[in-house]
Amino acid sequence: MELFDLSLLHSTMRMFTPILLAALGGLLCARVGVFNVGLEGLVLIGAFSAIVGNYFTDNLIVAVTVAMLSGMIFSFLLAFMTIQLKANEIVVGIAINFLALGLTTFLLRTIFDVKGAFYDSSMRGLPRVDVPLLSDIPAVGVLFQSQTPLVYVALALPFVLYFFLYKTVAGFRLLSVGYNQAAANSLGIRTNAIKYGALGLSGLLCGLAGAQLSLGQVTMFSEGMTAGRGFVALVATMLGQSHPFGVLGASFLFGLADAISTRLQSISIPTQLTSMLPYILTLLVMFFVRGRGVETNYSNEQSSR
Amino acid sequence: MRNEQIQTILQLTIAITIGAVVGAIAMIVSGAPVITTYIQMWNGAFGNFYLFSSTLANATPILLIALGVGIAFRAGVFNLGGEGQMVLAAVTASLVAIYLPGPGFVKVLAAITTGFLVGGGLSMLAGWMESRFQIQLIISTLLLNYIVVLFASYLVSFPFQDRTGSAALSQTAMLDPAARLPKLFTGMTVHWGFVIALLLAVVLYVMLKHTSFGYDIMMSGKNASFAFYGGVSKTKMMLHSMLISGGLAGLAGVFEVLGSQYRFVDGSLTDPGYAWSGIMAALLAKSHPLAIVFASLFLGALHTGSLGLERNTDVPLEIANVIKATLILFITAKFSITWWQRRKKAGVSTSGTV
Repeated sequence: MELFDLSLLHSTMRMFTPILLAALGGLLCARVGVFNVGLEGLVLIGAFSAIVGNYFTDNLIVAVTVAMLSGMIFSFLLAFMTIQLKANEIVVGIAINFLALGLTTFLLRTIFDVKGAFYDSSMRGLPRVDVPLLSDIPAVGVLFQSQTPLVYVALALPFVLYFFLYKTVAGFRLLSVGYNQAAANSLGIRTNAIKYGALGLSGLLCGLAGAQLSLGQVTMFSEGMTAGRGFVALVATMLGQSHPFGVLGASFLFGLADAISTRLQSISIPTQLTSMLPYILTLLVMFFVRGRGVETNYSNEQSSR
Repeated sequence: MRNEQIQTILQLTIAITIGAVVGAIAMIVSGAPVITTYIQMWNGAFGNFYLFSSTLANATPILLIALGVGIAFRAGVFNLGGEGQMVLAAVTASLVAIYLPGPGFVKVLAAITTGFLVGGGLSMLAGWMESRFQIQLIISTLLLNYIVVLFASYLVSFPFQDRTGSAALSQTAMLDPAARLPKLFTGMTVHWGFVIALLLAVVLYVMLKHTSFGYDIMMSGKNASFAFYGGVSKTKMMLHSMLISGGLAGLAGVFEVLGSQYRFVDGSLTDPGYAWSGIMAALLAKSHPLAIVFASLFLGALHTGSLGLERNTDVPLEIANVIKATLILFITAKFSITWWQRRKKAGVSTSGTV
């Protein structure tokens, strides 16, 4: 089997979608000056909620909506803790990750009475659709064939976000909070409301990312199935300098690494070694990243505080 | 009592109360009576001497990792790599203890030393990347966790796999009985690693409180510019604290291998989430070495208690993780209004030790 071919790019499209969606969520947080370590947990909650919604309603639109809403609720929890109760944002982010892992495994046991993973053959996954015009392009058209709608939504979002952030008044207000919150406040911008909005939207995107993970390929949920993708997304945000197109490119790189790592498993290399690839690549990429990917009041401080 | 102490106790009380309430809700969700379930949980952790000794055994790796995370916090850095440092140290230590020729105590000492150095070295690598290339320590330590855990799994699934048994499990061969840490009481799970961990807690307490090295660490964590003005290199302090921090996490892995598993089993250190409980214990105890002892015992008891629930009731053991996560979620929240006003007046930024 060829290592690099169009089908590799096809699976890259599928695998970079959750990373891109979460990284765009990270972008929104970074743009209001919040370093969101909790992306991983929010995606996991999204993945689980999507399965719960799917199982009980048998309606994919409801399932995806449930995923988005639960991502949003937990993101609001994070916002409430950091904005209202002034809790340390890194500790809260980590706590959200714990909570997501603990809650999903607990509910997996209480709702479905299984340990480890839940799979039910009666559940339908997201439908595969072709994009009418793009899929007719010779050669690369195959990339736009039989992907889930979420893949196309994710691809369109960087453009939407670009327009929103740089061409609308609301977008400028959002950016001003990240550049200098005190100054934005003095101009009468409701900075806290904007922060809540940005974090809520970020949770919604993470929920979508989770839905693509659990409903996009094999329709199932397994414990900790995000496997660090939220952290990879965080690095993608930083690598992309919190710019929509930068994040798009960075996520594509990580998606490609994910796809190659999966592809290599079919050759006789131990899976432990192939699975390392995305993390090693992410770590190497960190050498080219400076700060938290956006100039904020905090960027000069030491990272870990 | 000073205002700060009142504030700390207030925060802790609120966090534990909310944790208990969330735990109660989780019990109701799984259809169990709240009070009896909590009593079952208590019995599962302290019901008899055997269970109590299991709680101590469980608290041992948590305590060691928490001491390490705590010292890094004191220096103002966030070491999230406890899991990787523990696993890499455990797998190296088990290989040293199996393949190094010589009498038992030599193997044990060599395993402990290499474990400390391997854990500390991995942690220093992340520290070096932060100081030299400004690579965010929180992210690099997390990514290293994934890489190292996979690497250890590879080592024991292929080159160093135990091929003596009929089933090909991912684990090393057994350690010589001479190369093991003895148990504290026969038939009980708690081993000498617990005593060593307790001693280390006291040593760290004295070091932080009464030595100039401890003072330098605290200063560079509390106020880096002041420490620099006093001639303390922030980078050096960071690297030193990361070495100790990773080394202690390494010891947690070594003692698990030498004292309770007697071999390295893939997943045996990551599945119980020792490293994460260690971070929680350090946060709960605000990095105070002696308070960490109690926080670790508390988290260890939550774990053994939840095992008791799993055996005796319909409540799944994962409930412990829900309670723990809720505790941590609220632990740094600032509830007191007076404190907030003081903070506003002083105009402090978001920095400061956690």
